[in-house]
Amino acid sequence: MGKFLESPIAIDRTKLIRAVTATSPAPPPPMTITGRPHKATHLHCVPSIVLPVMLLLDYQNALIQSLLTERFSGATPTSIDQVVSDFDGVTFHLSTPESKTKILISINVKCYKELVQYGAQEVLEREYGPYIVSPEPGYDFSVQVDLENLPAEEEARNDLIMKFALLKRNAMAAPFEKAFDEFNKLAEEASRYTSESAPQGVQEGGEVMAIHYREEEAIYIKANWDRVTVIFSTVFREETDRIFGKVFLQEFVDARRRVLTLQNAPQVLFRSDPPLELANVPGLSATGGEVSYVTFVLFPRHLTPHRRYENISHIQTFRDYFHYHIKASKVCSFSRSYLDYYKELITKHVLQAYIHTRMRKRTADFLQVLNRARPENEERERKTASGRTFRVQG
Amino acid sequence: MSQSLRPYLQAVRSSLTAALTISNFASQTSERHNCPEVEANSSPEILLNPLHISRNENEKVKIEPSYNSVRISIRIKQADEIEHILVHKFTRFLTQRAESFFILRRKPVEGYDISFLITNFHTEKMLTHKLIDFVIEFMEEVDKEISEMKLFLNARARFVAESFLTPFD
Repeated sequence: MGKFLESPIAIDRTKLIRAVTATSPAPPPPMTITGRPHKATHLHCVPSIVLPVMLLLDYQNALIQSLLTERFSGATPTSIDQVVSDFDGVTFHLSTPESKTKILISINVKCYKELVQYGAQEVLEREYGPYIVSPEPGYDFSVQVDLENLPAEEEARNDLIMKFALLKRNAMAAPFEKAFDEFNKLAEEASRYTSESAPQGVQEGGEVMAIHYREEEAIYIKANWDRVTVIFSTVFREETDRIFGKVFLQEFVDARRRVLTLQNAPQVLFRSDPPLELANVPGLSATGGEVSYVTFVLFPRHLTPHRRYENISHIQTFRDYFHYHIKASKVCSFSRSYLDYYKELITKHVLQAYIHTRMRKRTADFLQVLNRARPENEERERKTASGRTFRVQG
Repeated sequence: MSQSLRPYLQAVRSSLTAALTISNFASQTSERHNCPEVEANSSPEILLNPLHISRNENEKVKIEPSYNSVRISIRIKQADEIEHILVHKFTRFLTQRAESFFILRRKPVEGYDISFLITNFHTEKMLTHKLIDFVIEFMEEVDKEISEMKLFLNARARFVAESFLTPFD
């Protein structure tokens, strides 16, 4: 199984990385993308998933990372014009509009308006301060880095690369940070009251922040004085996905109870109708149907300043991680065309893959059994020692 | 093999052995045609009474004998919706490869998951008792396979969930 899982993903990744290196090296051949600025090459980022490290998704965009690493390494500056897709319909545009040394990185997020409402602008300003430029048309946020103006130390340069590769993570982090701050405030307030005498506001906690980060799926975040609740709504289009999803989610729910080392993990709840926290959120249908709600309850231990950064990054990847593994086990079960990989990135396909290989093997076994029913030696030509053949006289 | 499975398979084996005494029979309704009568359904006197063998309401076999062909339909055990999906996918996978399975029917009879059609041409070319062995082994293995796949699914889900939750500590 390991081998099968590894191969398609590993191949895809190396291919893409090669594609990147092929488009950017120093002397631009006549067919470079510079010639046609509007037809940017379309590449998908592929998270580094190679068994056995493949289990968790990276937080940063691998393509931006590798591209910048190459540019920053001191290679001759070239023009770049690439559109890079990331999870959740996020697109990046890397280009060199003014001169070859100035790389402009723009990001387009579906829910950017909502993110700004929850303080994305401040978070991004804090992270990218001097690099921010006015957004490129068609994109929500842009940063520009000048290759002639890089930090001198290797380490600082790598940090900068990582910072740009984490653009999506930082944009999405704003509502989480806001909720965590709100939690700190509420916790402080609540410590002044006993549970009976607390005024209404402290007991109920903050407002629900909704981020509609995909077409039909959203993240809801709510801070309370003793916890922060993060709710993912997720849609299963197919019956198979729905059932597999249920099996997986049930394991998420049970994991904490079953495994001793996971006692400190956030509590996970899962249901197919909107949880009570979302009672006041408009536009949610009460009937379950295709939508499932996964609730993560983050306790104070997850919200401490030194755990905060890591946990925000990690919880953001939940949806993609989860869907990716459902598909993966299917490939293990029922295969689909590899084209789907490119459609929904790697989010699909791992279970499917395994079950497919299994069925293939089992089918071969059955065939072997059936072939036993066919008589083996029907009519073999027999020869005498001198080489003359017998013929059956009929 | 569990104690209740043995008599079930034994019953299927003996019934199949009895049903598979088939011989060539040209169509009575159209000239120079020779088709499996159990499928064509054109002359009722050629058809024999169908046999039902059930282990329980979820697992049963239907054997429809006729003068020159026998149709065997199997309903595979499916206790919950996961098994239902797995059985559906697996039988679909098999029927897509019906060509190489000679006796596999592309579409199962209604109410069953998979059907086989054995004609006199099959029994002439192949060994009848081995064909029966195949059907029996199929019934045995398919249950095993489905439950293994289900176990795998659960194990995988558990593993995935645990690895996602671990970094939170």
